Amino acid sequence: MANNANIIEVKHLSYAYGDDQRPALDDVSFDVHAGEWLAIVGHNGSGKSTLAKSLDGLLPFTKGTVTVAGVTLTPETVWEVREKIGMIFQNPDNQFVGATVEDDVAFGLENRQIPRSEMVPRVKAALTEVGMAEFAQREPSSLSGGQKQRVALAGIVAIAPDILILDEATSMLDPQGRQDMLALVRRLRAQQALTVISITHDIDEAAGADRILVIDDGQLIEEAQPAAIFARGERLIDMGLDVPFPVKLQTALKQRGITPPTTYQTMAEMEEWLWQSLSNT
Amino acid sequence: MAIAFEHVTYTYQAGTPMAHTAVEDVSFQVPDHGYLAIIGHTGSGKSTLIQQLNALYKPSAGTIHVDDFTVTPETTNAALKPLRQHVGMVFQFPESQLFEETIRQDIAFGPKNFGMSEADANALADEMLTTVGLDASYADRSPFELSGGQMRRVAIAGVLAMKPQVLVLDEPTAGLDPQGRQAMMELFERLHREQGLTIVLVTHQMEDVAQYAEQVAVMREGKLIKFGTPTDVFADPDWLRANQLDVPRAAQFAQQLRQRGLTWDTLPLTADQLADQIAARWPAKGADHV
Repeated sequence: MANNANIIEVKHLSYAYGDDQRPALDDVSFDVHAGEWLAIVGHNGSGKSTLAKSLDGLLPFTKGTVTVAGVTLTPETVWEVREKIGMIFQNPDNQFVGATVEDDVAFGLENRQIPRSEMVPRVKAALTEVGMAEFAQREPSSLSGGQKQRVALAGIVAIAPDILILDEATSMLDPQGRQDMLALVRRLRAQQALTVISITHDIDEAAGADRILVIDDGQLIEEAQPAAIFARGERLIDMGLDVPFPVKLQTALKQRGITPPTTYQTMAEMEEWLWQSLSNT
Repeated sequence: MAIAFEHVTYTYQAGTPMAHTAVEDVSFQVPDHGYLAIIGHTGSGKSTLIQQLNALYKPSAGTIHVDDFTVTPETTNAALKPLRQHVGMVFQFPESQLFEETIRQDIAFGPKNFGMSEADANALADEMLTTVGLDASYADRSPFELSGGQMRRVAIAGVLAMKPQVLVLDEPTAGLDPQGRQAMMELFERLHREQGLTIVLVTHQMEDVAQYAEQVAVMREGKLIKFGTPTDVFADPDWLRANQLDVPRAAQFAQQLRQRGLTWDTLPLTADQLADQIAARWPAKGADHV
């Protein structure tokens, strides 16, 4: 039975692709707390996307257990588990099924046998929520990348799952599109008490998380808050992340003989420290 | 001068009711062995602009010079073949264009098509593989067994095998992880520095513009609205934001300190430039804390 505070519990999860000798996931255990934003990072090929797919029953793991909102994932319960999870993938073109934007958003509701009288207002409300109502009749292929991901999010809003998994969902967007998408997810999370799991190598996306898990070679090698992870400096590159600007600046200053007071500073803390140090001269 | 655009205009479906001018009266110059970044919002005309560099699109009006080549609306297609060898184009997600059975065959395809013998083309392919950071042991493998980042390197090796003097890159790091992005940008920097290639880079990554480019062109609605060094172009962060463009982190940070009263000699664009200016004015007592 799951702890109330944990919406997902993963125990000793292992998975290998085909007859691959090296497991893509190797004895991974962790919990996801209800309502938190958890980022999972790791360089390309580390196993982080395999992990995301395992949680949704998209890959039949060979060993271990996954429990989602008290339900242990098995071939019998996979549909029950999937009702609780919405997923958005990297390439929006691979996840459209509807001929129009509104058909696409309605798809998840149809699958859940929601009556049409309820479906129509829910689709409309979901598209309004993500700012895409005026595109309801458009073909998905005529949209920009950022717009496509907003439609995918509308599909999630319509079915109101407990958990949203973003699998590198912002990596193909331009900087503006990426910021818009993250702002939208943050708003939805606040409104709908969503638990968010984001698989990412975007530093800003990871910085906004409550907790970060680092996956390397299929193993969970680290679990910490963003500030602790970002204090690793240049080693962040090996974790599949970029180095945040304050860390880059700290490194550059240390090379010039200037040592900051703490190992990790946010932009605001760094600004304050430099202002204090430089304005007294 | 490696590249010169003189009043270049490009109109899609000219003379029809669907006519749409994507590039309008654009003029600029890039010196020999230069490194130009082209930035601008999606749909600003960047892609149309670069596809004129090897005359995939001939200008509707105006003249384009690329080293010894000149392209005008009247230039015949027959005259363009040597230009297409001279200007290497790396499109977005170039790995989607790989098709041969082995990596060596894929890289050698272009040179053979341009008349090189099989043996010479294969030797060149192995050399190019090393240039892009994959050793020769990859040559006999299928390109489709590789990771996304490795496949992109193979595609770039195929472009380099044509021995271009100008390399045009359309968002070459899109979809790569930070490690892959950095390695890719360092590869282009090496080609620029060691082999003197002229680089034209279309990107949304302002940190890359700040770090690598020597000149920056800003496009909006088909027009060139700013052209200069990165220092010139990033000097006015408010103007950039009004044009929906990002400002490099170091410049943002320096601007915030400026608002509190610190002045900078020139606006720093990278962490190193910022650290240089901070170190130059760091109080001597700071050394006691080290």
